[in-house]
Amino acid sequence: MIIEDVLCPFCGCLCDDIKVEVEGGRVVGVKRACRLGSSKILGHERIGAPMVRRDGKLFETTYDDAYDRAARILKGAKRPLLYGWCSTVCETAKKGILLAEEVGGVIDSTATVCHGPSIIGIEEKGLSGSTLGQVKNRADLIVFWGANPAEAHPRHTMRYSSNSKGMFTPEGRGGRKVIVVDVRKTRTAKNADKFILIRPGTDYEVISALRMIVKGKGDLIPETVAGVDKADLEEAAGMMKAAKFGSILFGLGMTHSRGRYKNVDNALSLVADLNGFTKFVVMAMRGHYNVAGFGQVCAWETGYPMAVDLSRGAPYFNPGETAACDLLGRREADAMMVVAADPASNFPRATVEAMAEIPVIQVDPFPNPTTFLADVVIPTAVCGIEAEGTAYRMDGLSLRMKKVVDSGLPTDEEVVENILDRVRRLADDN
Amino acid sequence: MIIEGGIVYDPINGVLGEEMDVSIEDGRVVEESQDGEKIDARGMLVMPGGVDAHAHIAGAKVNTGRIMRPEDGRRGTEARTKLLRPSTGYTVPNCYAIGYRYARLGYTTAFEAATPILEARHTHEELEEIPIVDKGALTLFGNNWEVLECVRDGDLDKLAAFLAWGLRASRGYGVKVVNPGGGEAWGYGGNVKGIDDPVPNFDVTAREIIRYLMRANEALRLPHSVHLHTNNLGKPGNYETTLATLRAVEDIASSRDRQVLHVTHMQFSAYGGTGWRDFESKAPEIADYFNRHEQFTMDMGQLIFGSATTMTADAPLEYGNARLLKAKWSNHDIELEESSGVVPLVYGRKNPINAIQWAIGLELALLTEDPWQMIMTTDHPNGGPFVNYPEVVALLMSRAKREEELATLHDLASKRSSLPSIEREMDWNDIAIVTRAGPARILGLAEKGHLGVGADGDVSIYDINPEKVDPSKEHEEVKAALAGAKYAIKGGEVVVRDGEVVAVPQGRTYWVDASVPEDAAARVKADLVEKFAKYYSIQMSNYMVQDAYVTRPRVIGAGVI
Amino acid sequence: MRKVIIKPLREFQVPVEAERISPDVFAPLSIEEIRRLEIWEGNRKVTLSDLFMISGDDEPAPPGDNEIFLYGDFSRVKRIGEKMTSGTVVVKGDVGMHAGNGMSGGEILVEGSADDWLGREMRGGKITVSGDAGEYVGAGYRGESCGMRGGEILVKGSVGDYLGEHLCGGTITVGGDAGDFPGIANRGGVIVIGGNAHLPGAEMASGTITVRGRARVLPSFQRLETVEIDGIPFDKFLGDLVDGGKGELFAASVEDGGR
Repeated sequence: MIIEDVLCPFCGCLCDDIKVEVEGGRVVGVKRACRLGSSKILGHERIGAPMVRRDGKLFETTYDDAYDRAARILKGAKRPLLYGWCSTVCETAKKGILLAEEVGGVIDSTATVCHGPSIIGIEEKGLSGSTLGQVKNRADLIVFWGANPAEAHPRHTMRYSSNSKGMFTPEGRGGRKVIVVDVRKTRTAKNADKFILIRPGTDYEVISALRMIVKGKGDLIPETVAGVDKADLEEAAGMMKAAKFGSILFGLGMTHSRGRYKNVDNALSLVADLNGFTKFVVMAMRGHYNVAGFGQVCAWETGYPMAVDLSRGAPYFNPGETAACDLLGRREADAMMVVAADPASNFPRATVEAMAEIPVIQVDPFPNPTTFLADVVIPTAVCGIEAEGTAYRMDGLSLRMKKVVDSGLPTDEEVVENILDRVRRLADDN
Repeated sequence: MIIEGGIVYDPINGVLGEEMDVSIEDGRVVEESQDGEKIDARGMLVMPGGVDAHAHIAGAKVNTGRIMRPEDGRRGTEARTKLLRPSTGYTVPNCYAIGYRYARLGYTTAFEAATPILEARHTHEELEEIPIVDKGALTLFGNNWEVLECVRDGDLDKLAAFLAWGLRASRGYGVKVVNPGGGEAWGYGGNVKGIDDPVPNFDVTAREIIRYLMRANEALRLPHSVHLHTNNLGKPGNYETTLATLRAVEDIASSRDRQVLHVTHMQFSAYGGTGWRDFESKAPEIADYFNRHEQFTMDMGQLIFGSATTMTADAPLEYGNARLLKAKWSNHDIELEESSGVVPLVYGRKNPINAIQWAIGLELALLTEDPWQMIMTTDHPNGGPFVNYPEVVALLMSRAKREEELATLHDLASKRSSLPSIEREMDWNDIAIVTRAGPARILGLAEKGHLGVGADGDVSIYDINPEKVDPSKEHEEVKAALAGAKYAIKGGEVVVRDGEVVAVPQGRTYWVDASVPEDAAARVKADLVEKFAKYYSIQMSNYMVQDAYVTRPRVIGAGVI
Repeated sequence: MRKVIIKPLREFQVPVEAERISPDVFAPLSIEEIRRLEIWEGNRKVTLSDLFMISGDDEPAPPGDNEIFLYGDFSRVKRIGEKMTSGTVVVKGDVGMHAGNGMSGGEILVEGSADDWLGREMRGGKITVSGDAGEYVGAGYRGESCGMRGGEILVKGSVGDYLGEHLCGGTITVGGDAGDFPGIANRGGVIVIGGNAHLPGAEMASGTITVRGRARVLPSFQRLETVEIDGIPFDKFLGDLVDGGKGELFAASVEDGGR
């Protein structure tokens, strides 16, 4: 049986045209998804059963036991960190936030190592954006800055950007210009009309120079800016101003190089400046398929999109102080729950070492390096394949993920709810 | 329950300050109830629960406001309690704060002013999180490609079928139109300059869009009329566009016992002058028109000094605001459908423009003779947050308060408006109309806004005695009493007592399911299949809002029989 | 002078939020009442005496006459001196984040180093740090257009990134290096950096930044002339021109490749 229009639970593209072939209650084939999405949908090694660590080794246990232990760990902690949330649905996040409120913890998402800086940039300047369909239908200039969709978002250029065809863009790639700005010539750069190589850590200066040129003050800037020829920047600025509808799509190259949120901040300003001349939008190329969703849920529930400290009962937001890497980097957290993320793989080393010193609860379908640090491991159904729920695409569009097969496993949401229930019972006992 | 001895204002049923009991059973008002809770409301003001017909409380642009304004988040922060989730925010409160704060004001119904169809799922996710109040959302149609094409082709039947489909797809309640045509022009950074300025690439004008949408709205006999945010909103001299718009639709008849068009936050559309230098109020002209044309209604869009967050589907307006004020600016264009912008700002008493704007909202309300044509709003949070509604009520009821306020403002408020000369003071009957009875009628909510038998058991009781307190002089008391209801009752359950939330039931979400002839529906579907295949960035089967997002629906039927 | 002495009873791992440690809060209270003040250790609400040993003069006194001495490691104790209007706080060790948040008067002396957000949104008064300070010294809160509006901060050592972000008034002096983006988005105020700085004054609208060491300067700053300050030549720049800013940047030496 072929199930149509399935949403891919991998990256921020949230492609919703996937065909999944199901036979005998199992996924046997996937069409249209890229290799990243296919791999996830076809499935790979799973955590078999709940586990608990004793004397350094993981032993199987029951779900009930795992819930109890997890609840005790969280309830007993003075600064529990509830982290992850990017590869699960919004419904899980809602329960997670409630759990964080009740245990007086800090809740944060993988944006902390991804587009958290973009959010901080938005807090300074706002963001002039659109849905991806606007880019498809109207954009005649695409700028990828510090982003390499050829590797990280494989179907993006075809579905939404460089190679897509829309109402006012019937020629597709032929009717567009593509500029790539990066610190090395990536696969995406090889398909660009113009490639600007910049030195690592100099995005901010280059953007300032572009803004000066865009605003007609190019005379005042030097002949080279951070190693980039002014002529190159003038050409790029010219292409931007000549576009009918330009778009800048930026990735971790901007958010994680020196300058961090200030790079994004300046890019947002550049786009605002460009809107004085032509239509321009900007978008963050979100990594995981629902990190944007967590941000949305967290914002409407607490007022802030990430890094929310609930230890005193009222939400407090201050990335740099309340983000996951902050807590771990300073060794403040005395317990951690990881839901649908793999910090051991993505975090800076010092923070991973901090994780090793505290009790860690992992809620995930798949074993990964975080499992090596976990003291309680709780396997769950894979959202988007074995469980339904809501996810938000990188442009903020929400869609409903489908369930195509049964797993017999609890969902992330159910697990978090069960832990919450045990936490409440522990509180009542007191 | 029985609410005993209160001084009741129920204008829909002709009750104007009578001492009487109100009985509720099974969530509805009944003739008489013997059992249940007794609430002693003697010496207190009793009205139906408040109905907010226009506020931006749920959806993508509201959340954008929250995300871009952590500095707003930290205002209005309240820690969680055993019963309540934490609250944050002043102009862009979190969902829980929205529900709790409405309830404390004695409001029991609130409608989200504008949702795009493509992002309606998000709107409903937020509405589901707002506790206590009953709610609904108005669906945006004025820049939608299918709408523009139906208008261009003069196909009224197909347009009506599309409206029905769009309301179902978005689980929306009514037809919202914002800067028609301009939102589409903004797709390439443009706008329309008036109702006869053609929309690029579609060869239709705002005049045509509005007329067709109104006719289709009436063909479907929808409970609410078209709800319009005019073109040229916010621009000096725009009152001419407003009047031209109204004149353009004078001939259209309503299909139900209600207005044929509701113009929203009229304050922003009642401007004279040619620029900011000679900016002035044209509220008298607008009010005069409404006084001679009973088929139109409006809401105030009153300014509140202090922090505000403007958020609207009028994206070009927001871009203009941001450039003028050098403020942070968020914009979000939605493929094939709409666009929107969010800009935080501060309204200052000594800012001459803001002072005049403040006067205009009040002028409109006071110069429009029939209170049934007027709803009190601040276009939350564009004019100011809804927690300030008691301030607006006090201003409407007290000339002395208006004079006190004017004295603190830039003097252009007095010179460029007629406010100083207005003597009228609204009474409790008027207030009950402009905050409850009127909006319920205007929206077409038959069981809201009144306390007749069969009405929803939504009641607000304020600790102020209308027979003893003179609102004209004791406006401080009026404001204080309305800021925290003595009791707020929702569906027969006490949700607020002494200004504190004591229960958090889940409200219901209204939406309209309109029926249309099969052939028109099929033609719409064919168009949509093509649009999804070629232009949308998602699949048609993933588009519509699913049941999971509206867990307590209240579906109102409509349509061609 | 009314002296109050506070010493931690143990080492803290989970941070302590102690905005109650302030001359204004202590002023009307006896030592016993001070001991019962509510503070937080992570998500646990406790009293000051649960975590600290408190001694000193029992008699209440006006805030301006209160001197609070903190002995020991306060590096994980946040919000000390928050919103104080007068009086003195002396930290004989390191101090945690948000020391002197929103203060409008009085003095804080830190003999060790200070953590991030020192003097956040300060309005007046004086903070002196003998050691180093962290990021966001004299900065604002996220999303606000103005941070520090008045007062004086002196850090004898070095500071981290985003020194004086959104500065609107007041003076910040750093003896050593500043990190990235000192004086970013400033609309007034004076910043003096004894050592080096990376891209100072980005988005600056007005104000003055002096870098006595080496600065990497943005392409959107315009070099005007050379001026002498204390007998040393400085390059004077106008910026940040990207938004028509009229801030002044003085740099004793400019990094190659920066311009």
